[in-house]
Amino acid sequence: MLSTIQNLLEARIDFEGQKLVEQIVRLWLILATVLAFALGFGLQSLRITFGTLGVSLIGLSLVILPPWPMYNRHPVQWLPPVKETKSE
Amino acid sequence: MHTLYARVNNASAMLSTCMMLLLAAIALSSLVFTADPKGAVTVSLVQVVPGNARRYRNKDQDFAFVTFNVSADLTPLFNWNTKQLFVYLAAEYTNKQGVSNEVVIWDRIVRRKEDANILGAGRNKYVFRELSGSFRDVKPAHYSLKYNVMPYVGVLTYGEAARTTEPVPFPERQQLAK
Repeated sequence: MLSTIQNLLEARIDFEGQKLVEQIVRLWLILATVLAFALGFGLQSLRITFGTLGVSLIGLSLVILPPWPMYNRHPVQWLPPVKETKSE
Repeated sequence: MHTLYARVNNASAMLSTCMMLLLAAIALSSLVFTADPKGAVTVSLVQVVPGNARRYRNKDQDFAFVTFNVSADLTPLFNWNTKQLFVYLAAEYTNKQGVSNEVVIWDRIVRRKEDANILGAGRNKYVFRELSGSFRDVKPAHYSLKYNVMPYVGVLTYGEAARTTEPVPFPERQQLAK
């Protein structure tokens, strides 16, 4: 029970997924910042600037925070357990 | 990045970098707007009367009362990064000792673009008196309408919208009827 909750809260993803998330975060935030500035400057409103940034942040959270299946497509392949050998 | 917390951490770190750059860009964008609106200010009446200030009851002092007309359309100063304007009327004069003074006698805070067209007659809001106590032998004063643009992000900028064409002399002190 407790471990289920822990797994849910941790929302683990695999290594390839982490790489993907990193790239998405970087690209998304840079584009959102540029777009927010351009829209706000064009329409002369700071409200639009920070609104755009806020909305894109909510979108980004939905994309990267939950452990979507696309981040868990490359599970780590562990080596088979080594047969225990007698020491001595 | 493997857990939820690590992803929140990573995204917020990137977000703070982007936010700093965005704020810097907004602050710098103010330089693009170089509006320099001009208006007019005329002084219709200056009166000098004796009185006692609340603080120095026993000191005989002169008080100046200035009636003026201002007209200045400051709407061009409003852009996306303008929070409010501080508009003020300053009396600039050199006193008997040769010291240049600038006294703010009236001001107004403009919060909205719709209110930025300043038009009308006014009287000094603040007490206007000379440090020496008397306006006698004080050189004629210029009155200038100045503004201070307060942005949401960035530096404060100052400007002058209007100035009296001719300096206005201070009249002789009036004798109040006893």
